[in-house]
Amino acid sequence: MHMTVWRNRKPLEREMGEDTQDGTPGSWFSVTIPSGIKYDRTWLMNSIQSHCSVPFTPVDFHFVKKGARFFVQEASTASALMNVSYKICDEERRKIPVFVSPSAVPYSVRDKLKPEEMEQLKLTLIKRFDVSKQALDLQRLCVDPDLVGHDIDIILNRRSCMAATLQTIRKNFPELLSLNLSSNSLYQLDGLSDIIQMATRVKVLNLSKNKLKSVWELSKIQGLKLEELWLQGNPLCDTFPDQSTYVRAIRDRFPKLLCLDGQVLPSAVTTDVDTPCVVKPCKGNYFGSDELKSLVLQFLQQYYLTHDCGDQQGLMGAYHEEACFSLTIPFHPEDPDPSSLCEYFKDSRNMKKLKDPYLRVQLLKHTKHDIVHTLCVLPKTQHDFSSFVVDTWFQTETMLCFSVNGLFKEVEGSSQGCVRAFTRTFITTPASSSSLFIMNDELFVWDVSPKKTQSTFCIPVPTPSTSSMPSFYWEQQQMVQAFSTQSGMNLQWSQKYLQDNEWNYTRAGQVFSMLKTEGKIPEEAFKEIP
Amino acid sequence: MAMSMDFKTYVDQACRAAEKFVNIYYETMDKRRQALTRLYLDKATLIWNGNFVTGLEALTNFFDMLPSSEFQVNMLDCQPVHEQVKQTQTTVLVVTSGTVKFDGNRQHYFKQNFLLTAQSTPNNIVWKIASDCFHFQD
Repeated sequence: MHMTVWRNRKPLEREMGEDTQDGTPGSWFSVTIPSGIKYDRTWLMNSIQSHCSVPFTPVDFHFVKKGARFFVQEASTASALMNVSYKICDEERRKIPVFVSPSAVPYSVRDKLKPEEMEQLKLTLIKRFDVSKQALDLQRLCVDPDLVGHDIDIILNRRSCMAATLQTIRKNFPELLSLNLSSNSLYQLDGLSDIIQMATRVKVLNLSKNKLKSVWELSKIQGLKLEELWLQGNPLCDTFPDQSTYVRAIRDRFPKLLCLDGQVLPSAVTTDVDTPCVVKPCKGNYFGSDELKSLVLQFLQQYYLTHDCGDQQGLMGAYHEEACFSLTIPFHPEDPDPSSLCEYFKDSRNMKKLKDPYLRVQLLKHTKHDIVHTLCVLPKTQHDFSSFVVDTWFQTETMLCFSVNGLFKEVEGSSQGCVRAFTRTFITTPASSSSLFIMNDELFVWDVSPKKTQSTFCIPVPTPSTSSMPSFYWEQQQMVQAFSTQSGMNLQWSQKYLQDNEWNYTRAGQVFSMLKTEGKIPEEAFKEIP
Repeated sequence: MAMSMDFKTYVDQACRAAEKFVNIYYETMDKRRQALTRLYLDKATLIWNGNFVTGLEALTNFFDMLPSSEFQVNMLDCQPVHEQVKQTQTTVLVVTSGTVKFDGNRQHYFKQNFLLTAQSTPNNIVWKIASDCFHFQD
């Protein structure tokens, strides 16, 4: 099997003393699933196993930003895994890429405990195990006198130590129900996430007094069916504005939770009772008519293609001279890491936060030059058409208003690859040719929760072919009005003339003039319709 | 009609109207639901999660059926609408976003926009909704 990926790379240096479970030397490869964080880990690994022609043991599964990664040994395993790329379909029918490349030895292997250390660890753990409660107390494990006395460093933040501990648990306490990891300075739970395979019955978990900064860490152990959880004393507890939001966030991840931080929780609201959509089912797009739909969709396609290409001239053409534009980002204290939207921060005109009337005027961009300049300075984007949900909510002869909800990806800059959600509200007015001018444009951008991130975007729809024949109801109505004014005929007849001449205004005009001079137009054509 | 005010004044007026209106709207929606339709024009339209509702009677029925709400707005923006586009009355586009809970059920994020139209009375200006578009964002 041809491994083109690394044909020209330096061969991976074999490290001294690096060995596999059975002692033979091997080289290591990392396997990465971008956006792996949005998938259920068990489902993901099972899918990969079933598509892989060679059975393998994943080592040190963890998350790197939004991706999932693990390690395997042996080039043959690596190449078999490469073949899995784009073979697995997720729920949204997107094919999941799997990237494989050579890597250094994973930590748990590199820093693997020696057999005598493992033996001492086992003895220490046995001392801390309460068989009657099937409970293991690992509080402050690194300063355990037994371990210290034997000069063994069990720092649970280290993958190797956590892995060794979990292996010991699996071998010796397979029916473990309760685990206390309080005061171990844990700042991430990647290592602990293996517990889902190693100690599946754990129902009580104490993570208090550690250094977990974000509730998102708990997503890594979401597979555990916890009934009791302790988290107090972690920085993440301070990230919530109030107790009920905190409880809700935890419960979202552990639906069977009965007790949090020692407090019994009120019985869970059943999550399958959904919303007031019993009133009206929630629909997606709303368009007044098919013609409006094609007009709006065509506008959006052209607009976003122009926008994503950074075509300033094109953008100028889309806006009215005196158009207005403003941009907002959300304002709420529990917004995770506002620095992730920092490129939008200075332009944000969220009036819930911005009270200065002078700034409120300044941040409203007025005139198409100002607007296009502002847009071109924002991070470059790629919009995902397949994610668009559009509402056409108001129209008159002079005005067509619609909103688009969707997703885009930043394609350069410090947040490259970040996916954002947006809602854009447009008020447009018909332009002289078959298009719309934007009069008002309001853009609201916010961050998307990891689960909603799309790993691949649709290829942008190719530019729609422009035809000189206007096929949209909107322009047709404009034409009818104009024709009626010029000819003196009523709207009905004007429409008839235009239709009969395939909406070619000039030709219809010529036909009309000709027939008029010949006196062949009936009187009723000029009568006002009641 | 010539622009009787300059742009800055338009924006100021829009901002003040929007802020005041939004406070009243959500308060009424949450606490005095039966009075909500007074904030709408007779021919106002509402698009609620893709469902189209128009006319005071339909709006009244709709808001009656909607369970009790608890809104929390965390984004507000507004823009004046150029008179070329909305010819007769001064109009403001208002955009809001935040969270809502209906009848104590789970929280939804929502996005809403309004077209507000000024109705002048001898004493002051009353703003009413000409169009309302509401969508969950989950």
